Amino acid sequence: MTELQDTARRLLDEGEVKVVIGWEEGRRGVRPVFVTSAADCDRLVFDTRCVHNLATFLNPRRSQVASLGKAALVVKGCDAKAVAGLLREAQIERDGVVLIGVRCGGVVGSPVAPDAPALTAETVASRCFACDVREPGLVDVLVGDAQPEPPGSGTLDERIAALDALGPDERFAFWTNELSRCTQCYACRQACPLCYCERCIVEKTEPQWIETSPHPRGNFAWHLTRAQHLAGRCVGCGECERACPVGIPLALINRKLQQVVLELYDYTVSDDPAVPAPIGAYATDDTQDFIK
Amino acid sequence: MADFEPRITAFVCNWCTYTGADLAGTSRLHMASNVRIIRLPCTGRIDHMFIVKAFERGADGVIVSGCHPADCHYTAGNYHARRRFGVFRELLSFLGIDPKRVTFSWVSASEGGKWADVVNSTVERVRTMGPFDSYHGLVGAASPADDPFASFETPAGATGDSAAAPASHTGGAS
Amino acid sequence: MSDTKKKKSASSKAATPVTDAAVAGTASTADGSVVAAQVADASEPLALGEARFLTSEALGWLVEGLAAAGTPAVAPAWAGDAGRAAGGVGDAPETEYRVVSGAAELALGERLPRLSLKQFFLPPTEVLFSYKRNGADIELTPAQAARDTVVLGARPCDVAALPIVDKVMNWDYADELWNARRAATTVFSLSCKVEDDSCFCSAVFLGPAALKGSDGRLTPVDGGYLVEAFTDKGAAFVAAHADAFADLPDASANSAQAEQFRAAARERVAGNLQVDHGRLRDWLDHHFDDPFWASLGPRCNGCGVCASVCPTCHCFDIVDEPESVGSGVRRRNWDTCQTCVFTLHASGHNPRGDQNARYRQRIEHKFLAYPLKFGDVLCTGCGRCSRACPTGQDMAEILTAIDARAAEDAS
Repeated sequence: MTELQDTARRLLDEGEVKVVIGWEEGRRGVRPVFVTSAADCDRLVFDTRCVHNLATFLNPRRSQVASLGKAALVVKGCDAKAVAGLLREAQIERDGVVLIGVRCGGVVGSPVAPDAPALTAETVASRCFACDVREPGLVDVLVGDAQPEPPGSGTLDERIAALDALGPDERFAFWTNELSRCTQCYACRQACPLCYCERCIVEKTEPQWIETSPHPRGNFAWHLTRAQHLAGRCVGCGECERACPVGIPLALINRKLQQVVLELYDYTVSDDPAVPAPIGAYATDDTQDFIK
Repeated sequence: MADFEPRITAFVCNWCTYTGADLAGTSRLHMASNVRIIRLPCTGRIDHMFIVKAFERGADGVIVSGCHPADCHYTAGNYHARRRFGVFRELLSFLGIDPKRVTFSWVSASEGGKWADVVNSTVERVRTMGPFDSYHGLVGAASPADDPFASFETPAGATGDSAAAPASHTGGAS
Repeated sequence: MSDTKKKKSASSKAATPVTDAAVAGTASTADGSVVAAQVADASEPLALGEARFLTSEALGWLVEGLAAAGTPAVAPAWAGDAGRAAGGVGDAPETEYRVVSGAAELALGERLPRLSLKQFFLPPTEVLFSYKRNGADIELTPAQAARDTVVLGARPCDVAALPIVDKVMNWDYADELWNARRAATTVFSLSCKVEDDSCFCSAVFLGPAALKGSDGRLTPVDGGYLVEAFTDKGAAFVAAHADAFADLPDASANSAQAEQFRAAARERVAGNLQVDHGRLRDWLDHHFDDPFWASLGPRCNGCGVCASVCPTCHCFDIVDEPESVGSGVRRRNWDTCQTCVFTLHASGHNPRGDQNARYRQRIEHKFLAYPLKFGDVLCTGCGRCSRACPTGQDMAEILTAIDARAAEDAS
């Protein structure tokens, strides 16, 4: 933690950045903080509650953040993949942000706790399963001690397998039940680092492709579209599901498409911006056994 | 379901499939008449939302068809479509929309016979599956979304399960 | 009988800590008359008739009976969904307000339902009318009529929101759909044991047993609930379902236990937040451009979850949706001032162009504009916004910070 705070202090003191975006202790748990003065750097913390994907704050449309000036962003390895996505898609310049990577051994699913919960198979967030970036790539500075592997918890894949084992009608009934609660609040979109469009397709009214009314038909259209637009880009941070006020298991949908792009196009989301995303690219010998 | 005539919407590319369909017509090939064709410049232009919209607006099945790989009039449009629909198909399936309701095909300008085959086989397959009532009934007078008390009217076993509401609209075939 | 009643209300007054006196102060507001309308939890109206006893079992029968008779009963219930997948911390099972038909579903007094009662009066999507073209004519069919409904065991913070929102719904026009649902619904609140330290009902002129908006109130006692009716509607419901309600096993002991429950809850929540609303309003009125807003805006995602879960947020969007060629519906759908397009003009100009401005709007609407216009703070202290916010915005913390600045200004 001291290493993190010292790094932040140095970056601010030397004028390399104007703001350090990291985590602080809030009243109920940890939450994002925007540190603009060296004196405030001791507010920065990092522990197993630091689940947020802070890459969301790099969205250039967030003028209230951009106006703070050049930022240093504290990232876990998974968060760095989101930053790589923004770089890959030319939303930010590499020299427009300083990345402070923290070595991470896993986080829990909720930042709300008075202090850092221990990681067990039950408490660890699903996204930490089979994590390959405990040492974040892409970063400018790396802080923190090397961490052990997070406890295994393949529940996400298990639940997907269970759904896949059902027939289409049963799956439809499952998703109709889950998606009927959706109020199309778009918290899932707002929490997502890769949903950065200045004008989202759902706000297009001529024509209105996606019905904004939160009835099951509109909700299916919304979630089908968001999932499709994230295919191959989603880093699996689970922030969409955490943000959802009615507990829709959105992580299942996005994780499913991660599995699909791996199976079909041998692609896993990378923290190297030079590796192209699968949708938008193609190979002349792509699988086409579904095409007559 | 002998008297059920499926409604099929076909999104086809102008250069290959549309011309192939035209050839099927001028060759007087026997084809089911359930298909309404929408002509696009290229399968690369076909957004996944077209398929969703077709189902929303009453289609029971959808055909998406274009040029064979390496034959795209715009060079790579169909390659992009192939990837896009490779993924979208799995997404539809995962959310419970049976991918058997959607046919993807490569039909060239000279393949009138193949087009007729795609049309006929799609119509028969969707006829067997029955009308897509579960999707068409997603919003109705008694949808839980319209009226928070609507789930109350669904039959027994509906406690906490608003999925029962749309299901009760289906004709029967599932 | 009347002696018992007087004694009961006297003892309630004595038991209630008078924390609201400073809060209800009007001195520092120009429009002092407005805030006088706010009533603290302490001075509650008298119950109509005798208190009754509803055993937990009888509550189940009551719900089943209502279901069989075709009257929707809305109650806190165990959420019937698959549960979150990406989380890793074992939360208690979620609850929601839902039309229930069986005892097994009921979750009264368990975790705070994730959405408020709002969805039953202002649904997330609501048909305003349907239209159908008939040659040159257009047929309009109005929305479905509201049906008689009862709410059993809702939190006082959720119930109090209803009369608060009534005011804007009857301001420049009478919102028929909202009013119809309100008129058709009988609401019984459940005295709350206080969810956690994000609650601050007592800081907004309410409390864990507040009666604002309640036709009746349930308070947990041994074996079930002590039930009081406070309006004719509430009394009529009790009378109409008399066989579910029994005499209190021991009236004075039960009443004392109920009052003790309520008093303990009031004490529990009182410490969570205390602000001077007059001073708060004054500060908000004079610090539109304060750098304070830039300390809140950056963290906010602009997701509007706070508005979805809020019992008093009521903004909506109106859309026309074709269902077929020549026919369709006009709907209103939940909306939120926190999205970037909420105030986007057709010209491209956006008067609330960044999240600092949008977040400021949220606070100002709730704690300045609405009280000045309607005499009620647009907040019932349920704390959902703080719990649901993905980035940790904390309403109690924000109000404390503003109040502290206001106090500094005043000194």
